[in-house]
Amino acid sequence: MPVLDLDLLWQQLLYDPKNPLLFNNGFFVYFFGLFMLLYYIFRHKATVRRYIFCFFSLYFFYKASGYFVLLVIISAVVDFLISNAIAAQQDKFRKKLLLVLSILFNLGMLCYFKYTNFFISLSNDLFATHFNPLNILLPIGISFYTFENLSYTIDVYRGEFKPARKFSDYLLFLSFFPKLVMGPIVRAHDFVPQINKPYVINENDFAKGFYLIISGLIKKLIISDYITLNFVNYIFDDPSRYTGLECLFAVYGYAAVIYCDFSGYSDIALGIARWLGFTIPTNFLSPYQSSSITEFWRRWHISLSSWLRDYLYIPLGGNKKGGFATYFFALLFITGVYLFGKHLLGLSVLWSGVLTFFVLLIFILPALLKKDKTGISTSFNLLSTMLLGGLWHGASWNFIIWGALHGIALGIHKIWMLITGKASEKLNRQGWYKAIAIFITFHFVCFCWVFFKSADFATGMTMLHQIGYDFSFSVWPEFFDNYKWVIGMILLAGILHAIPDGLADKLIGRTGKWPLLAYVTVFFLFVLLYGYFKSAEQVMPIYLQF
Amino acid sequence: MNSQHRVLKFTLISIGIYFILSILDLSFNFPVPAFRKVNLIADLVKSPQIKDSIVVVKEIPVSAKKDESPSTRVFEQFKAPKTIIRFSADTNQPALQKFLPKLMALKSGTKQKLRIAYFGDSMIEGDLLTETLRALLQKEFGGSGVGFVPITSQVSSFRRTVSHTYSKGWEDENFRNTTKGNVYFSGHLFRGKDDWVSMTDQTIRDSAAILEKSLLCGPVSEPFSIMVNGTAQDIYPKELFNRIPIRKDRSRNLRLVVTDDRLPVYGISFETDNGITVDNFSFRGITGIELNKLDMDFLHAIGEQNPYDLMIFQYGVNVLFRPNDKNFSWYGSKFQSMLVKMKKAFPDTEMMLVSAADRAFRYDGTYSSAVGIDSLIKMQANIAFETGMAFYNQYETMGGKNSIVRWAAEQPSLANKDYVHPNGRGAAKLGNFLFEAFLKDYYKYQKLHPKS
Repeated sequence: MPVLDLDLLWQQLLYDPKNPLLFNNGFFVYFFGLFMLLYYIFRHKATVRRYIFCFFSLYFFYKASGYFVLLVIISAVVDFLISNAIAAQQDKFRKKLLLVLSILFNLGMLCYFKYTNFFISLSNDLFATHFNPLNILLPIGISFYTFENLSYTIDVYRGEFKPARKFSDYLLFLSFFPKLVMGPIVRAHDFVPQINKPYVINENDFAKGFYLIISGLIKKLIISDYITLNFVNYIFDDPSRYTGLECLFAVYGYAAVIYCDFSGYSDIALGIARWLGFTIPTNFLSPYQSSSITEFWRRWHISLSSWLRDYLYIPLGGNKKGGFATYFFALLFITGVYLFGKHLLGLSVLWSGVLTFFVLLIFILPALLKKDKTGISTSFNLLSTMLLGGLWHGASWNFIIWGALHGIALGIHKIWMLITGKASEKLNRQGWYKAIAIFITFHFVCFCWVFFKSADFATGMTMLHQIGYDFSFSVWPEFFDNYKWVIGMILLAGILHAIPDGLADKLIGRTGKWPLLAYVTVFFLFVLLYGYFKSAEQVMPIYLQF
Repeated sequence: MNSQHRVLKFTLISIGIYFILSILDLSFNFPVPAFRKVNLIADLVKSPQIKDSIVVVKEIPVSAKKDESPSTRVFEQFKAPKTIIRFSADTNQPALQKFLPKLMALKSGTKQKLRIAYFGDSMIEGDLLTETLRALLQKEFGGSGVGFVPITSQVSSFRRTVSHTYSKGWEDENFRNTTKGNVYFSGHLFRGKDDWVSMTDQTIRDSAAILEKSLLCGPVSEPFSIMVNGTAQDIYPKELFNRIPIRKDRSRNLRLVVTDDRLPVYGISFETDNGITVDNFSFRGITGIELNKLDMDFLHAIGEQNPYDLMIFQYGVNVLFRPNDKNFSWYGSKFQSMLVKMKKAFPDTEMMLVSAADRAFRYDGTYSSAVGIDSLIKMQANIAFETGMAFYNQYETMGGKNSIVRWAAEQPSLANKDYVHPNGRGAAKLGNFLFEAFLKDYYKYQKLHPKS
């Protein structure tokens, strides 16, 4: 008979840097069970329920990232105070000053933890300084809750939302555990009003929540982890050792991985929230089915792209005007393109100039075509948004390149729309045109993922070099033989991705109420499947290039 | 209808069943490994059964009994990291007895060439490790040039020490597709028909160095014309293996055109008259026993035409291709017979065996050193001991058990996430360690033979 070890139990309750809390820890099962029990018992007492929720959320954060939980609490206190002060302040100038204070505080915190070392290396490279990088750990979720803080104080400043009166309301909005590590980025005006509502969910919520949780777990813990560990990591780590075919599949594999990882986490968050009586807007809508890059950004990480639109693109001037920031970023970008051509692509001054000219043209052409000069600032505002959006994903040049590529593609798509005009609307209704457009969009997105995933620019270029110059189908039989499970997982990801959001809703609506036993059975089937893949023998990398 | 109770019921029933199943699993040892991996209480209890599910890496004792005899103690030297050993009771004696006198003479100004052949698998592909070792040895003892470069190579675009382009038509006979005994140390023999290759040695620091560029090739039955840097040149190689100097000047480039596939070509060598040359002979995926295929006559011809002063063999990682293998005797005897053959073919050459580096597999969800690594390293040491070769423990030099896992996790990383290959940074580190081990051995020799 197993004997309970109290020491081990105690250790389980504390933060373990080697084993931070995620949805797949055994600990989460107890955590969730106890939480659900208390949440249910106190369902009619909004205040107690809220405190329980806050406590569990903060404890989840502590188990996931240790004492960084204090950062969440501090930023909640600061933003709660500032936002209330903004709301109470009548003087416009002081109101603005308070907003600037909040922005400085939040961005300052984000910059310190996320970008200090990036700026140090930038300074060392550009100005030949010799600063040593600092030993700064990145607090989990900081990119998400900083953006939530910012949207909150800006909304209050704009008068779109009255600040939460109770501190615990605000703390819960910020720390709500299902979305803490990887989003979605929730807006206060959507979320806060739901906190003190009576706890009511219908059968549909229960079924849809269950569907979202299980499909999210499958996407994140089974598909994404399996492809990453048994294939993608090997190839992206040192692409020069692998053939073009393997590198190409690694890019497809990564497209599946990042979708499953990100949307899987979002789905779990959405599902748990649904069970608790909260509605969080959908974050991913089968993004790889987009027939243009513009559409892609309406379907991919929607909570981020809409945040960037509302709090970056529009303040920059949106599609109406350009300000100092617009032209400042434009100048930085154009200089960046020239230096990129010269140093990273190794082009001559002339060719680098030609490249810069053509990139510049992409952003000016729509204005010329429409004979409307605001078009120039619109294009550059969009580009700046994409550049900063890229940088948000991580402190490295690769993310900026990734953002720039998307920005340029959005510019090109705009030109295409202007040139083709109404004809493209007609074309869009043609099946073959749409298929080609989806194919091109997907491959462009994949092309950008190469830089997103690669450790540095050179690795990304090696990856492309292998695909372009070392491609042969002759290695297919060995490749297939070794990686058939991985290929199967990529296909499974494709199938899950192809299920439209509405289809699940429809099915759930039609099938009626399932007995609880059916849910329990499905859950245990998932547990066994997860266990099976956890214990599956690893797929070894093979070296096909002889 | 409010379905909140359904959420609670589902959660509590599922967790309850899960909890009970977990206890039963640990109590009665369910024959379902998939469930054991997700057992809910395994982290919380002390239970003898749990251990059964974990792969316990057993230490492989050097000998069953604690043996303190002198020969055992001598053998135990194989565990020393960063040290070249020769299993000698007198540890003041250097290991590379044949090589060091030549090295010392070179250092004290004698004009001579010392040539080192470094054999290996993908661990040294793209001139990894040898790039650093060559640069450091040449800096310390003199010499220039990248040494041997094969006509084509799958990693040519990433090898930093040579800029290397070639036409697509070269036919490549190699360890994988032929059993012929004349494919050279590189494992390749090339034939071209109006095919070209162009190489630029990128290792040269001294622009005044006179670099000899030689063609390494097999025999032809009558005089043969090749194009070197755009000029026709007649050659008549008759030996089984030939080394034909084709240019000797300050240029670092060479462009060769072969019009007729009768000429078996191996590669080009870039060397100076004096100093150290390090040739990298890497062949992906092999275990070293492939060298057994080379004909004795062919080996003798190499010995005469292109003699080496030191040969280093680093293999083994491709023997460890299954996570749970611990017995490698099938490999040991074949590998040993290859080394015996090489010793016989090159009696004057110093020989050194470098052990496999660390390699990890995923056991129970986490990466750790292959369970068979200790027995493989010990077997390799034993082969060196029995064949009378010098030995260098790459595994211990890396840091021993789980070092590849630490190397891959380091920032910036030193190894790839395949948990097999040290990357450029890691390989440079290994090259440095090996160079330092050379120096350590060299100083031992210097101490025993002070300059008169």
